[in-house]
Amino acid sequence: MPTISQEYRSRFGVLGIVVIVVLSALLVRLWTMQVLNGESYAAQAENNRVREISLEAPRGRILDRNGIPLVTNRSALAVSVDPSHEDVRALLVRTWSADTVDDPTSRELDEMFGEISGLLGVSTADIWERVTDVQQEALRPRVIAVDVPMEAIAQIMERQTDFPWALVEEIAVREYPNGNLAAHLLGYSGAISEEQYEQSDEYAGYELGDTVGKAGVERQYEGVLQGDKGWRRIEVNASGRSQGVVSEQAPRPGNDIRLTIDAGIQAATEEQLDLAIAESHRQGYSSARAGAAVVLDIKTGEVLASTSRPTYDPSAFLGGISTAEWEALNAKESEYPLNDRAVMAAYPPASTFKVITTISGLQAGITSENKTYNCTGRWTDMGKQWPKWCWKRTGHGTVTLRGGLKHSCDTVFYEIGYELYKRKLEELQATSRQFGLGSKTGIDLPGESAGRVPDAAWKKQYNENYPEYQQWLPGDTVNMAIGQGDMLTTPLQMALVYAGLANDGTIMKPHVLKDVLGSEGEVIRTIENEVLYETGVSAEMLGVVERGLVDVTESGTARAAFAGFGQTVAGKTGTAQVKGKDDYAWFTAYAPIDDPRYAIAIVVEEGGGGGAIGGPAARNILAYIFGEEQKTIHTTDESR
Amino acid sequence: MNKTIPERILDRVNVPLMAWVGALLIYGTVMVASATEGMSSGLLTRHLVGVGVGLVPLVIAWLIDYTRLRGWQGPLIAFGAFLLISPRVPGLGTTAKGATSWLQIADVRLFQPSEPAKLVFIVVLAAVIASMKGRVDTPGRAMKVFAYLAGAVLLIMMQPDLGTGMVFVALTFIMLIVGGLKGRYFAVLAVASVILIGAVLGLDPVLDKMAGSDVGLKDYQKNRLLVFIDPDLDPHDAGYNLAQSKIAIGSGGLAGKGLGSGTQSNLHFIPERHTDFIFSVLGEELGFLGAVSLLGLYLALLLTALAIANSSRDLYGALIATGVLGMWMFQILENVGMTVGMMPITGIPLPFMSFGSSAMVTNLGAVGLLLSVWSRRYGAGT
Repeated sequence: MPTISQEYRSRFGVLGIVVIVVLSALLVRLWTMQVLNGESYAAQAENNRVREISLEAPRGRILDRNGIPLVTNRSALAVSVDPSHEDVRALLVRTWSADTVDDPTSRELDEMFGEISGLLGVSTADIWERVTDVQQEALRPRVIAVDVPMEAIAQIMERQTDFPWALVEEIAVREYPNGNLAAHLLGYSGAISEEQYEQSDEYAGYELGDTVGKAGVERQYEGVLQGDKGWRRIEVNASGRSQGVVSEQAPRPGNDIRLTIDAGIQAATEEQLDLAIAESHRQGYSSARAGAAVVLDIKTGEVLASTSRPTYDPSAFLGGISTAEWEALNAKESEYPLNDRAVMAAYPPASTFKVITTISGLQAGITSENKTYNCTGRWTDMGKQWPKWCWKRTGHGTVTLRGGLKHSCDTVFYEIGYELYKRKLEELQATSRQFGLGSKTGIDLPGESAGRVPDAAWKKQYNENYPEYQQWLPGDTVNMAIGQGDMLTTPLQMALVYAGLANDGTIMKPHVLKDVLGSEGEVIRTIENEVLYETGVSAEMLGVVERGLVDVTESGTARAAFAGFGQTVAGKTGTAQVKGKDDYAWFTAYAPIDDPRYAIAIVVEEGGGGGAIGGPAARNILAYIFGEEQKTIHTTDESR
Repeated sequence: MNKTIPERILDRVNVPLMAWVGALLIYGTVMVASATEGMSSGLLTRHLVGVGVGLVPLVIAWLIDYTRLRGWQGPLIAFGAFLLISPRVPGLGTTAKGATSWLQIADVRLFQPSEPAKLVFIVVLAAVIASMKGRVDTPGRAMKVFAYLAGAVLLIMMQPDLGTGMVFVALTFIMLIVGGLKGRYFAVLAVASVILIGAVLGLDPVLDKMAGSDVGLKDYQKNRLLVFIDPDLDPHDAGYNLAQSKIAIGSGGLAGKGLGSGTQSNLHFIPERHTDFIFSVLGEELGFLGAVSLLGLYLALLLTALAIANSSRDLYGALIATGVLGMWMFQILENVGMTVGMMPITGIPLPFMSFGSSAMVTNLGAVGLLLSVWSRRYGAGT
């Protein structure tokens, strides 16, 4: 055989070995991948194939105590941008690359979003900001406009070729049937923040982009309102397009909750606070813009109304608030409309605090209802070099303790305060704390302030770096006795003080949640009324205070406001002096006298006199409650 | 010769070769059918037409006495060069995916001339090496072989088609094993090849601009987006294709997900799934057993080609058979290797399996060359 095999046998042998080695190498590799690691790859393939979309549960509704809806849900037409569309993705990839050089230019953005921007009335910069929002799941369509008019929707849907990345979706959004009513108390909701998301305990199971309560009741009862998310597993292809549903679990809507708020009282309270601010302006207090008011049921601690000014529009948060709007709401000149001053703001309580001083003096046995004091307008008991003035510079003359409350005579309380100072027992502080001052009330609202009850230890610590100011001085107690100095209380705290006076010395724990409703509207959880403090103040002492407070509305500093009012009201004016600002107007009260039921506290920052501004507002809120006529009252008040 | 007519025909047919190729064609048709399910219809028909058309060069090559090819060295070189240059000729070529590697007349895409050029190169190089009578042992001889290779690679890089260039290099090495290249020249040639490939890669304009550090967006956020980003946009382009291909093959496990049931394939996670990445579909749907079956067929095919080389009555025929063997072996290694991450990703089809008529026709032509060598193992004209 003339083959060449003999001569080349070894060379063919080498070649055969090469063939076997090459194929064996592939075989080993395939064995490793398919047989040894097959399961891990299979899991990856499944992960590729199936994408889980979470279905957000509608939030529970928030109702007033009578079932009137305060916050509900409605569906809204929203336009979103699909970040997975290739055109959008191309821009996103460039934005997120390390190089800033290739970031999309505003011209490119205008080219892409300019037309839809015109249709929706949203600037291209705002659109792009929302599309690039990293605080959302990567695949989640970015909502760029909510409540889009039908004409714009029609245009966008007809011209899919022009806006292939635009999606029109029906989304569930919060609805506020009463507009801004109780905006602070109710709070608002929005996309979960990164900080919240990373708090794994409270927000376990949440995803970026989920809607959560951000303030007020929405935040406090997030767990109840949120409901259980559903999910839908869809099969997707390599471009992320859905190929069909694999399986689905419907979401369980959040529970409805009923608040203790009475929508009618709330509306009346808000109206009166607004009128009080307007009256301040009328009286020349042009800086008046802010304030708060609280109405409590003294028997249960239920908050019937709670409001704060300035206010905001919670519907601005639907579909995500724009940066500009958010900055405006948090600017210094805006007076922080998002803050709920009823529980977050601490003010000097001024003369409304004199009831505490009265009780403290009575408990110490250093005063009595008819003990007389001599007010010359100028009080120099602490020494000629430390004179203090009564608000009435000409003096009240001879005045009793009861008269001191009625006329809000400062001299009476300077004397009581000075006596208490000399006893060195910090009894005024103790009485304040007996009534819950200086501590959070534990109301079911976020961000509550504790206020402050100043004492020697506090002062020393507060002035840590200023040794010369660390000593507690007679003037400190004397100032505190008229609710000035370093004393600070929230409007809610002062309302509770008066609730305690009205309720035989028992202060009920304030709360805004009444009950939680099940899916059929049945009550599944009721908030029990709880005693917060038993002050232990005797009925006799409470009687002394009450007689003085009734005098206030009948013939004292608030007589003009309450003239002709059908109910007997125990009230107290307060006019707080704040350095560098106009006076803050306070009014605190409870009513009716025979069977007390309601306590109220109202404050207007830089509003002027308590009797002129607070009194009429409180009178008209009570008028609403008792079904009496509203009355416009213009009066003035120089008391403090 | 006292053989009967049927015996004489049987003598000219290498039965095992026909059997292995036939089995591969059936296997390939099944896989193309599965991979093209849901794609534009007619692809399977086009695949089968490719097989049919391929029978023409098979028969022609078979009938031609390969020893006569030796006399056509000049025309063959000219023809090969023309094939490699033709896509660059205005009015003839067309550009796809960054390479000008197709012949197109009017609007009709004809074929990729670099495919048949491989066979021309094998035949030409076989003559060159055979003329050295099994001793490529002087620098001059080695340089001569190298010059042919370099010329071919240079022309192919004008398209540019890195994959085919690598095939040329690989089959030259394989042919030189049989051709008798001195051991130390292998080393020199290896270094030269590495330098050549390196130079080509260095010029490659598509070389990725590497992404910078993790600034701005956090990694986990970016990755979520990148996971579904399509290969054309992904800065880690090849990485994505490779990852998806590996997931497909790995997830096939021992027995596979069943024909037509591969999720990676049907949901388009595998790129080019009926052409360059058909092995990924096979691995996913038929598992390790399916892959082993394929490799078994390839082993049989390559050993049959080796046997034919071994049976050749002259060195020239042995080198032609060895060149075909080398071409197939490297394409199998490169194609399967890239789908499992062992080799870089290039556009080389899997012999007899991938959809694509140019390659199919070329491979069947290569079978014709083997048969030509086999049927003349006893002497010319028999």
